[in-house]
Amino acid sequence: MLLTKNRIQGNLREAEGCVTEMREQQRPTDPGTPRGGADQLREDLTKEINRLNGLSTRGLMALALFLFVSILAWFGFLFLPAPEAVTAVLGKPPSGRIISIVLLLYTFSAIILSLSRMTAGIEHRSSFSHVGYLTGFFIFYYFDKSLADNYWAVFGSGITVLGVESYRIWTFCAEGITKSREDIEYVTRTGRRPPEE
Amino acid sequence: MFATLAGKALVPVGLAVTGFMVVCCLVLYSVIRDDLHRGEIVHATNLADTILKSTRYAMHKSDRETLATIIRNVGEQKGVDHVRIFNKRGVVTFSAKPEEINRQVDKNTEGCIVCHKGAVPETNLGTMQQARTFKNPDGKGVMAITAPIYNGPDCSTAACHVHASSQKVLGTLDIGLSRTELDRSLAMLRIQMIIFSLMSLVLTIGGVTALLRRNVFLPLQKLRTYVEASTEKGDLPEPPPHLPHDLDVIANGFYRVKHDAADKKQNPGKSA
Repeated sequence: MLLTKNRIQGNLREAEGCVTEMREQQRPTDPGTPRGGADQLREDLTKEINRLNGLSTRGLMALALFLFVSILAWFGFLFLPAPEAVTAVLGKPPSGRIISIVLLLYTFSAIILSLSRMTAGIEHRSSFSHVGYLTGFFIFYYFDKSLADNYWAVFGSGITVLGVESYRIWTFCAEGITKSREDIEYVTRTGRRPPEE
Repeated sequence: MFATLAGKALVPVGLAVTGFMVVCCLVLYSVIRDDLHRGEIVHATNLADTILKSTRYAMHKSDRETLATIIRNVGEQKGVDHVRIFNKRGVVTFSAKPEEINRQVDKNTEGCIVCHKGAVPETNLGTMQQARTFKNPDGKGVMAITAPIYNGPDCSTAACHVHASSQKVLGTLDIGLSRTELDRSLAMLRIQMIIFSLMSLVLTIGGVTALLRRNVFLPLQKLRTYVEASTEKGDLPEPPPHLPHDLDVIANGFYRVKHDAADKKQNPGKSA
């Protein structure tokens, strides 16, 4: 909420990769915005709503991609070479126990990071990177030949991390959209920029 | 649900705590199962070694009756699914189950292929590689160990039945232990972990809900009732007592604004 109101000013800044910075206060409380400026403002706010609408499904898309990877893992990554062939070239993989410890550390860190972003109201679109990390865990277990024993641990970790991330992105976008709609209403009613919160 | 304060507070906490606990339980279960499995393999290997050492003298003396008795007695032990000895050609020569004697075993079956997958059979396997798990015809889980019976100087030079010293493996001891007890323990562990996770989930959500209700929702409800009463009635009530500091500031601020407005209304000429 705090962030969305600051987003609008002429050109909307497109976040590149990890947008971890708080958006700076951009909107001057100019009481005398001309009507043409109000139209521009409404257009910007509408664009912002569309952008947030698109962003709100990002978490679910990441979750869907993870489910697809999980299905591939369930069938034992049929397209990958046999573990023996790969370990013959690359050497012995880390043991299943080490991978499990790293998985727990990763899950813990990812949840803490996501909850921190939720608390600070930071926009961050890194859900797909989590799919990459989780796929890495599946692959490491596969090469260790312990995927069958640890499949559900990675799956549970993925559902948890991506579930929390999806919720964070969704609530962030929902609050931003609500605020933008209120701002549009205010601009239509008064012809001026909405006041800062 | 998601729009309320309670929903916003509880959904991420519940999801994060439950998910992390489930992952921890799954990893822990996997580690415990792995440990128990390894322990069972070590136990079976030791048992196989004990049998081999116990039967070595009888083999050396070619005392088939003693050998058969030892195998039969071990096979009658509780938790032992099968004990059998194969000769070099894969024919069962001794078994706790008499109907298995003289049966030929296929080298491509699970327990044999580990050594017989190449043109020259493997003669040395690690402890873990010797083990295999499968379900017996009764549908019960079995963990079996295949231990080679190596040729020794006392065998190759014995007067009774000389084996060539070049022959490294004389036969194989195959012993299978029932996994029923292990499976039962793991099933109990699974149930205990599920109950533990559910209890933790209920405690976490219950604790967070109770604290939120006590410290946030009830004071908010008081403030809301006060604001509604102030706007509806003609007279201005005092702010509710014992509110948390933040809400107390809001309630007092609201009271002052309303009080000043009412004062202005009554005395329009009086400046603020």
